[in-house]
Amino acid sequence: MDIDILCKVVDNYGDIGLAYRLARSLSELPAPPRLRLVVDDLAAFALLDPAIDADAAVQLRRGWEVYRWQGDGSGEAAAAFRARRPRIVLECFACGRPDWLEDIIFDPRFQEGCLIVDLEHLTAEKYAEELHRMPSLTRSSSVRKTIFLPGFSPGTGGLVMDGSFSGSRRRASTETGRSELRREILADLGCSAEGAADRFWFCAFSYERDYSRIVAALAAFDSLSARGGGRPVLALAAAGGSGDCLAEAWAEAGEPFPLVALPFLPQERWDELLLACDFSIVRGEDSWARAALSGRPFLWQAYPQEGRQQMVKVAAFLDRLRPHFASAAFSALEELHLAFNDRGSDGPAEAGRESLLPVLSRYSELLPGFRAFSASLLENGDLASRLLTFLSEIV
Amino acid sequence: MVVTSQLRTGSVFKVGNDALVVQRILGQKTGRSGMVTRFRVKNIVSGQTSDVALDAGEKFESVDLDILQMKLSYVDGATYVFMEQETFEQYEISKEDLGDNAGYISAEDDYPIEITFYDGKPVGVTPPILVERTITYCEPGVKGDTSGKTFKPATLDTGIEVSVPLFCEIGTRIKLDTRDGTFVERAK
Repeated sequence: MDIDILCKVVDNYGDIGLAYRLARSLSELPAPPRLRLVVDDLAAFALLDPAIDADAAVQLRRGWEVYRWQGDGSGEAAAAFRARRPRIVLECFACGRPDWLEDIIFDPRFQEGCLIVDLEHLTAEKYAEELHRMPSLTRSSSVRKTIFLPGFSPGTGGLVMDGSFSGSRRRASTETGRSELRREILADLGCSAEGAADRFWFCAFSYERDYSRIVAALAAFDSLSARGGGRPVLALAAAGGSGDCLAEAWAEAGEPFPLVALPFLPQERWDELLLACDFSIVRGEDSWARAALSGRPFLWQAYPQEGRQQMVKVAAFLDRLRPHFASAAFSALEELHLAFNDRGSDGPAEAGRESLLPVLSRYSELLPGFRAFSASLLENGDLASRLLTFLSEIV
Repeated sequence: MVVTSQLRTGSVFKVGNDALVVQRILGQKTGRSGMVTRFRVKNIVSGQTSDVALDAGEKFESVDLDILQMKLSYVDGATYVFMEQETFEQYEISKEDLGDNAGYISAEDDYPIEITFYDGKPVGVTPPILVERTITYCEPGVKGDTSGKTFKPATLDTGIEVSVPLFCEIGTRIKLDTRDGTFVERAK
């Protein structure tokens, strides 16, 4: 089976992160499809996979042919796709098709036909089950289209579980493996904070906001450790806007615990870091899915939408989490999610009403719930396998 | 070309050699990548009806259609009979083919409706964007609640159910947006 994966980087790295992970996961299957990737921002791709050449119009990587999206009908990509016509095209997040590929797919002389799969965004909302595997249309009867949705329930396509992530997850599931992982990460980062490997690792990767309430809660949790109620904290600030916000709030609070400003990490390293953390704040899609699969407590920040529509998405996600928790502990987690996400826009001055300390105080009660949630996601199966099964049914 | 976001009930577009008419908008979801809308469409040629999900960016060939202005003359069971105002010629369209638009039109309306013809046959209608209808049943109104932010179900004189603000009562005349069936305001 041949699959062409299309990815347009709208902002940040969630789009290419998912495309890259899915490509790896598909290639790891017992009967892997032959893959071609068409990406509009190879520089973003190269940050996640440093072996990618951001300037190459065509390149080979991991057995895939990787093409630059930009170009016209006379380019190398168009020539390659004319020579081997696309049969299955995976549009990540309804990203559309480059004009040169559009011409090839809809060429009336191309009688064998083509299937386009619109891989939509991850959502916990019920519509994911309604839309998953629904037929769609294109202007040509020989170019079929269908919708495929990732999700948290058995009625969806599930989440991508590539081998690297699964291996790291297994490793982090034992105390020994997790300690080794932490020491490796600390050595990579050059972090020599006292007792760093044994501290409570808190990682922030969110949209920009005022982090003073979060820092105050972490400082309180850190100081409680002297009385046996909390734990010494190590904060890890992900590269980007939220890292600067966290570092600023931390400096203003008098640097109450050690903080490490993370460089931009390749995808596999980022996965390991999330798995090594005790608590993470994550945003977007790929990190959200990784955090959900990690079995470790986390807070998800949804992208702000007009009319605060993100609250619908957050409520739907909380509904998915709720059955796995005792009600008293879950209330603190729910209030944290709702307060952290209830905003009209993002920016360094955007202050929330969130209370992290009640969640940290109930950490040991919450941990089994997150583990149970993660186990339920694993039971749903891997998106790459489900996608290939689906394709084999309809092609 | 017509893009998904331009499609509404009664729109006709082409897939290959087939012309499809939108009978019903079943739902929409919005995300960062845009909107996915679920439609019930009918193949005008084969008569087959199917539910499909279209993302906002997909483009379709538009169809050469004849459009005539007519008045709904009367409704005979599940058949809607329209009359061309100059020739008095009558055309029948089934309630099924009218889709959601059947709920917006009535023989009592004095305004004309666009009837879409494909290959000489009427295949759908396009009512005005705003129409007035009368509530025939709803729970009693709540005095003092004029915010219009809280809604309740109401049945209209055409038999369809829509959501209306709490202050509406049986007999209230309302304006509806026929693109999505939403309440706009109380008719004056």
